[in-house]
Amino acid sequence: MEGMAGQKSSLVWAVNIAAFLLVLLWTIPTLGLLVSSFRDRDQILTSGWWQSFSAQEATGFVRTGTGDDAVQEDGQYVIEGTVLEEGQNLIGWGIRAREPAAFQPGETTEIEDGWQLTVAEDGSYRLTSDTPFEMRRGERIFVTTGAPARLTTENYDRVLTAEGLGRAFMNTMTVTIPATVIPILIAAFAAYALAWMEFPGRALLTAAVVGLLVVPLQVALIPLLRLHNELGIGKGYLGIWLAHTGFGLPLAIYLLRNYMVGLPREVIESARVDGATEFQIFRKIILPLSFPALASFAIFQFLWVWNDLLVATVFLGNTREQLVMTGVLRELMGSKGGEWEILATSAFISIAVPLIVFFAMQKYLVRGLLAGSVKGG
Amino acid sequence: MELFWLAVSTIAIGVFGCVAWFWGSNLILDRIYPPRGPNAGDNIRKANQIRPWLFLGPAILFLGVYLVYPIFDSLWRSMHNARGSEFVGLSNYAWHMGDGKFRESMRNNLLWLLVVPALSTLFGLIAAQLTDRLKWGNIGKSLIFMPMAISFVGAGVIWKFIYEYRAPGETQIGLLNAIVQALGGDPQLWLTLIPWNNLFLMIVLVWIQTGFAMVILSAALRGIPEETIEAAILDGASPWQVFFKIKVPQIMGTIAVVWTTITIVVLKVFDIVFVMTNGQWGTQVLANLMYDWMFRGTPDYGRGSAIAIILMLLVTPIMIWNIVNARREVR
Amino acid sequence: MKAVFHTTVALAALLAGSAEAQLVIEKGSDDRINWQSLEDFGAAHSDIEGQSVTILGPWLGPDQELFTSITAYFEDVTGATVNYSGSTSFEQQIVIDSEAGSPPDIAVLPQPGLAADLAAKGHLRDLGEETAQWVRDNYAAGESWVALSTYAGQDGAERMFAFPYKADVKSLVWYVPENFEDAEYEIPETYEDLKALTEQMAADGETPWCIGLASGGATGWPATDWVEDLMLRLNSPEDYDAWTTNALPFNDPKVVAAIEDFGWFAKNDDFVAGGTASVASNDFRESPAGLFESPPGCYMHRQASFIPSFFPEGTVEGEDYDFFYFPAPADGSVGQPVLGGGTLFGVFTDNPVAMAFVEFLKTPAAHELWMAQSGFTTPHTGVNMDAYASETQRKMGQILLDATTFRFDGSDLMPGAVGAGVFWTAMVDFVGGASAQDVADRIQQTWATLK
Repeated sequence: MEGMAGQKSSLVWAVNIAAFLLVLLWTIPTLGLLVSSFRDRDQILTSGWWQSFSAQEATGFVRTGTGDDAVQEDGQYVIEGTVLEEGQNLIGWGIRAREPAAFQPGETTEIEDGWQLTVAEDGSYRLTSDTPFEMRRGERIFVTTGAPARLTTENYDRVLTAEGLGRAFMNTMTVTIPATVIPILIAAFAAYALAWMEFPGRALLTAAVVGLLVVPLQVALIPLLRLHNELGIGKGYLGIWLAHTGFGLPLAIYLLRNYMVGLPREVIESARVDGATEFQIFRKIILPLSFPALASFAIFQFLWVWNDLLVATVFLGNTREQLVMTGVLRELMGSKGGEWEILATSAFISIAVPLIVFFAMQKYLVRGLLAGSVKGG
Repeated sequence: MELFWLAVSTIAIGVFGCVAWFWGSNLILDRIYPPRGPNAGDNIRKANQIRPWLFLGPAILFLGVYLVYPIFDSLWRSMHNARGSEFVGLSNYAWHMGDGKFRESMRNNLLWLLVVPALSTLFGLIAAQLTDRLKWGNIGKSLIFMPMAISFVGAGVIWKFIYEYRAPGETQIGLLNAIVQALGGDPQLWLTLIPWNNLFLMIVLVWIQTGFAMVILSAALRGIPEETIEAAILDGASPWQVFFKIKVPQIMGTIAVVWTTITIVVLKVFDIVFVMTNGQWGTQVLANLMYDWMFRGTPDYGRGSAIAIILMLLVTPIMIWNIVNARREVR
Repeated sequence: MKAVFHTTVALAALLAGSAEAQLVIEKGSDDRINWQSLEDFGAAHSDIEGQSVTILGPWLGPDQELFTSITAYFEDVTGATVNYSGSTSFEQQIVIDSEAGSPPDIAVLPQPGLAADLAAKGHLRDLGEETAQWVRDNYAAGESWVALSTYAGQDGAERMFAFPYKADVKSLVWYVPENFEDAEYEIPETYEDLKALTEQMAADGETPWCIGLASGGATGWPATDWVEDLMLRLNSPEDYDAWTTNALPFNDPKVVAAIEDFGWFAKNDDFVAGGTASVASNDFRESPAGLFESPPGCYMHRQASFIPSFFPEGTVEGEDYDFFYFPAPADGSVGQPVLGGGTLFGVFTDNPVAMAFVEFLKTPAAHELWMAQSGFTTPHTGVNMDAYASETQRKMGQILLDATTFRFDGSDLMPGAVGAGVFWTAMVDFVGGASAQDVADRIQQTWATLK
């Protein structure tokens, strides 16, 4: 008996560790994004996100003041200033791009004909000359600096304060909620008919739904927008609900039908014998039993509509009043892209709501799942 | 605030309209053929012939307009020239057959079809089984599911931080290359490394789809009656045996559904390739090739549509398999 | 932080909407700008007051901000409203919208190929001979600008379907003057000098070039600019024109030579930062950063006039960086060729405000107001060159006006499947190791199937 118990506990350990590793593997990429969203662009481009928490070494250059900034001291012309920003410390400095750290802090060098440059440990520099300075622009001082790890919420400030985000949030909600609820309603009825009602052509219709799953969205854009324009729907909420409903239906019907087929036959048969109408059976038996499947599809459809940009720009339009969240975020990134910090931040802001939905629905998912079984196929 | 009420009322109207149809149409049907009275039996029979179509009506309407009509539109377009002004028969198809990029896309799509559904389902099953009975299982599940909630553009950035390349010796900002360099290897340009780059793109989709597979499969696993499993354990079955001999066969149907769904996602895979390589370095796939022809540069809708039709034909085996299955269930 | 603040404020001003649009330069305040032309225009178009026009374009972020700062003057003097919206998937959206019958009034088309296609399908409105004549008379190298925006319509007749506004100069090499001074390098005056300088730098143990071809969905396009610039330097302008129409096949030895010359720069590990292997996967936006590294990652970067917007924050034009003209061969056989591009305004509807907007773009003020800000060059000969915001900008505008040969981005003139398709991918393959002849053959093969 003891042997078995030991075996069991080691198995539990193995399961825990394996599960942990799997979860870790799946989380690391997103973690990288999360950390990156708190860094500025220069940091993102010069060091890995996993180094964010250690001190950073950076190279760059600072320009001295010009002749206008010079003051006279003891017959010498002097320009003073600092090469460091707050929180940085000086590691080395130089005056040529090729040797950016030729000198130690505190050393003095001659730039050209009598110009003496000293950069002290605290970052203050002093450029002196016996004659007035003649220069078009300040001299470059190359510095190698160290700075403690620094994370910033500037990216979030920038994205969250972007004008129009609130409006876009409402727009997205207005698009997403009906575009999630309507296909579920329609699909639930259709799935029930396909799973439990007798009529000719049932198998064929089921297969057709599977076939329609594969229709690439892109082929539907032009014909459907043209249709909307001709019908007078034009671009607007009605159009985009209809479009999302149409595009989401095949998966909804497919998943729900497969779930409903697996519901216990006896329950439905006995209800029929008791004289319940199909509508009553559907409402009182099928819907409650199918809740987990409805919930899981609702999550998928919600995510898909929430993250969609293509369907929204085509069917809703692109003006200020019509933009959805993804549209505003794309605008922030600019036409040429390349702003990774904004991308990272936007990605995080846009997944916040879907994640909340997922966590909220998960409770129902799990509870419902215990009631029925998923079979089908 | 005004906007808020506008949003709420539009939502209400949209949802209400939908409910009204099902409720109202059923009510009317019951009025015309009341399931009571002298002709009850006959009425019920007649009503039951009509009712499936009431239930299916809106779905058929939507599917017809939003998916079937575009298919026929594409079919027509695929047999016409770029401007849609001239009938060209099957020459768009013939052109693709001789095109290197098309053949490359077909080959890659087949590779994706072999790898992604298999790996996603496998990892999904493992994840479902492992996390099912753990205390922190739900948190684990949520984390594995999270990639599904991220848009493809977001996923593109995420994986940039994994695959990014810097010259050897420089600070690597891509995790994979940082690891390789730390182990003493040379950093690689993962996304241009033919033919392995295809695999690196597939990993992204596996990463996303595993969450889907896990959620559905975990539901199925919990649906297996406890008695079956307990009986097996009492018979002395090891955990491995319970899993492979009892659990997996029980949920075979659900595995098939997951596999089918992911297969179809893979057939349509577009965003990942579009965002990460745009089909260059030998990673082109059909959906992205179609997009290129439809919208890139001087669009040729004819050739683009031809690819769409081919894409849809590829799903035929899955459809047949489903017909067979559905027939079997009826019996 | 300051930059972030600046962007936020600018964005806020931009998003505040057209109703209370701020004029970036108060009317009449800056005497470099031809305010009279604006007033005259307003007086002539008072009839459109209260109407509106929709414009769709690819400009977003800072570009959008700049463009809407110009349309604000149009709104101010006419009383009409301009609704501009930018889109990252602009090309796709304009195709879908025009095909489906709900186009904007005006679209800002970045590629002549796209404009030609829209014209052929009958979506674009004819701008009239008068406008064509205006461009001929008022733009430097006017004839070539007219040719750029003249396409066959649905009936096959050639007419001017788009109005060019805002030009880009592409034949530019960006560098850091002080790095050149420190290393005692001279700015090359001839193409031969440029090659000698490249070798000199490599011999000194330095890396001459930063080249990056990656651009997401459009990866490879920076290489097509290189090849076009080299085509103009190795061959006559006539050959270049023949090349863009395929009268000179893509696999002609002249073209292959140009591709090979690009390879001379890009396919030598000593000449490019990160080595040849990284060229294709370096993002074009990030590649110039090497100029500003210390020690320098590279000394030169060939790219069009827009690239400074991607230089590190805080770098100053004319001080921290500058550009020189991508030089021509010493023998003078091809003159001083300049490669450039431009955005085209196409009208899609009968909205009178749309045509009025095109008239607005003809006023010197519409050009000067943007010149006075940033990122704008124009071939308009009637503008005040002093209006350019900086010496660097003015120098760039001067290149445009002085060009003995001005040619447009060839890949934009080619059919989309070539110029925005196989040309890009083939250059990626070329840098990846394929031979110039092989990739040229492949491009020619694709082009042949398009006929």
